[in-house]
Amino acid sequence: MSIETRNNLNIRGSGDRAIIFAHGFGCDQNMWRLVSPAFEGDFQTILYDHVGAGGSDLSAYDPPKYSTLSGYADDLVEIGNMLDLNGAIFVGHSVSSMIGILASLKVPGMFGKLVLVGPSARYIDDVDYIGGFSQDDIDELLGSLADNHMGWSAAMAPVIMGNPGRPELGEELSNSFCRTDPKIAQEFARVTFTSDNRADLRHVTAPTLILQCREDIIAAENVGDFVRRNIQGSRLVLLDATGHCPNLSAPNEVIAAIRDFV
Amino acid sequence: MPAALPPFGFEDLFDNAPCGYLILGPDGRIEMVNSTLLGWVGRTREELIGKKVPELLNIAGRIFYETHFAPLLRMQGFLNEIALDLKSAEGKRLQVLVNAIERQDVDGQPVATYVVLLPASERRRYERDLVDARTKAEAGLLAEREVSEWREQFIAVLGHDLRNPLASITGAARMLLGEPLSEKGVRIVALMQGSVTRMAGLIDNVLDFARGRLGGGIGLVRDANAPLEPVLVQVVDELRAGALERKILAEYSLTEPVLCDRGRIGQLVSNLLGNALTHGAADEPVRLRAFTETGILEISVANGGVPIPEKVYPNLFQPFFRGEGHGSHQGLGLGLHIASEIAKAHDGEITVVSDQTETKFTFRMPTAAP
Repeated sequence: MSIETRNNLNIRGSGDRAIIFAHGFGCDQNMWRLVSPAFEGDFQTILYDHVGAGGSDLSAYDPPKYSTLSGYADDLVEIGNMLDLNGAIFVGHSVSSMIGILASLKVPGMFGKLVLVGPSARYIDDVDYIGGFSQDDIDELLGSLADNHMGWSAAMAPVIMGNPGRPELGEELSNSFCRTDPKIAQEFARVTFTSDNRADLRHVTAPTLILQCREDIIAAENVGDFVRRNIQGSRLVLLDATGHCPNLSAPNEVIAAIRDFV
Repeated sequence: MPAALPPFGFEDLFDNAPCGYLILGPDGRIEMVNSTLLGWVGRTREELIGKKVPELLNIAGRIFYETHFAPLLRMQGFLNEIALDLKSAEGKRLQVLVNAIERQDVDGQPVATYVVLLPASERRRYERDLVDARTKAEAGLLAEREVSEWREQFIAVLGHDLRNPLASITGAARMLLGEPLSEKGVRIVALMQGSVTRMAGLIDNVLDFARGRLGGGIGLVRDANAPLEPVLVQVVDELRAGALERKILAEYSLTEPVLCDRGRIGQLVSNLLGNALTHGAADEPVRLRAFTETGILEISVANGGVPIPEKVYPNLFQPFFRGEGHGSHQGLGLGLHIASEIAKAHDGEITVVSDQTETKFTFRMPTAAP
């Protein structure tokens, strides 16, 4: 199976430099639909789905491999190697911030700059560290994911297809919007929210930009600040956007901040 | 004095509907909330206006809201049947199902979001029960599969271990026949060979039966090119060698190629002949007739003796069915069952006719694939 199919690779745009967008937990590359087109004029834009999400090949989901973020980082490295990326710009949302960091440590030079949108190096509180969640919270999350996939897996697609107000949502998109196998979603949630990448931060050498939202309960300001303090020379931009998905709620602000950095 | 009823109409419907209503501003903050929802969560309107929906949720719900609800709503403009847990001021939980739709201006920018919440505690309990039941069923299936794999392996080993000593006895009997033997000695070797043939047939039947019961069915390796007759001749010879005092008359007219598993057809015929030798009258011959005619292979095995009572016809091909009498010569009652399974696997069938003159089992199958 090819990497293109496995990770549902979508390459657009033209330019000497490449910019690769990685989606976080909960959705797929559609998360970038309001952001990535703005870079197609002067960049080669690369979008992909993590295995288990969106239009990726679910049969490629290998539980041991994807039981750590490092497995996801290996996929990113493979994509980078296949496209011969050198000095590319990596833009990662949420948990993909850490996936990008891990990949950049595996192959120094592949990514010239890192943009981390709503990053958190650890979600669960620890001694002298506030991640924002307890282990119980995460266990409860896994349960609520099970509650929701009952209605999702089977019923969402037809509903989306019958949405006359948004004709741009073609059949192709409607079937893959944030769709994922419920078991994989649970496992990805577990991997995401129990990860601890605090020790990796100080090894990052690529120039790094952190985009921090306000009122983000997934990655609060203190969490983003921890990332900034631990990545040498990194910059943090506090967006006006609230919540955890500025790429959807305030795409123009995100585009401007990335442009300014690259 | 009784309190004046509010005027019935849209406003009252919004405020006192049997569901919760929220209207969110473009930034996701609560702009309006109805009394029904306030009652559920035990909060005042002032407490909620200007807050965001996660304020009403447990922590897991907040994560879900930020990672699924909000992005999906922004991307597709609506959401249906999302399961969330509301948290009341006293810390109580209320399971709800949520629908939401985003209202947009001409540029596609969100102006407001309408949210409807319906209590769904009973439904959630039911759904969780279903999920539990499925999880249990899956675990059961997995365990069953393990046992079945273990059994499959056991059968394979058993078959191998049982056949090996049998092969040694066959070899030894053949070597004995090369030695000068008394007349009695020759008869004894023939008896040994007969027992070996019978034993080999029993082992085949038992293994096939066990495999069939495990869902494997009768496996076929069909081949229309090799001739069927030599296989039948060999089966007859084997049975003759073990029953010197019995007469088996065989007649072959196999003129058309037959798409079949020859080993299996041999097993079928061996089972029918064994059955006829066991149950037929000892002083009458067993007659085998095998011929092809206009696309049909027909093999019949007939014997004389006491007819099969009509009432047992339906059970003849059932596993472990055994006719009356003959104590020690009784088999496991699998021979006819396996024969009929082999027939079915070849898209054929076995029929039986039994009267005072003879008892005849007839196997028919198409010579070519359907």
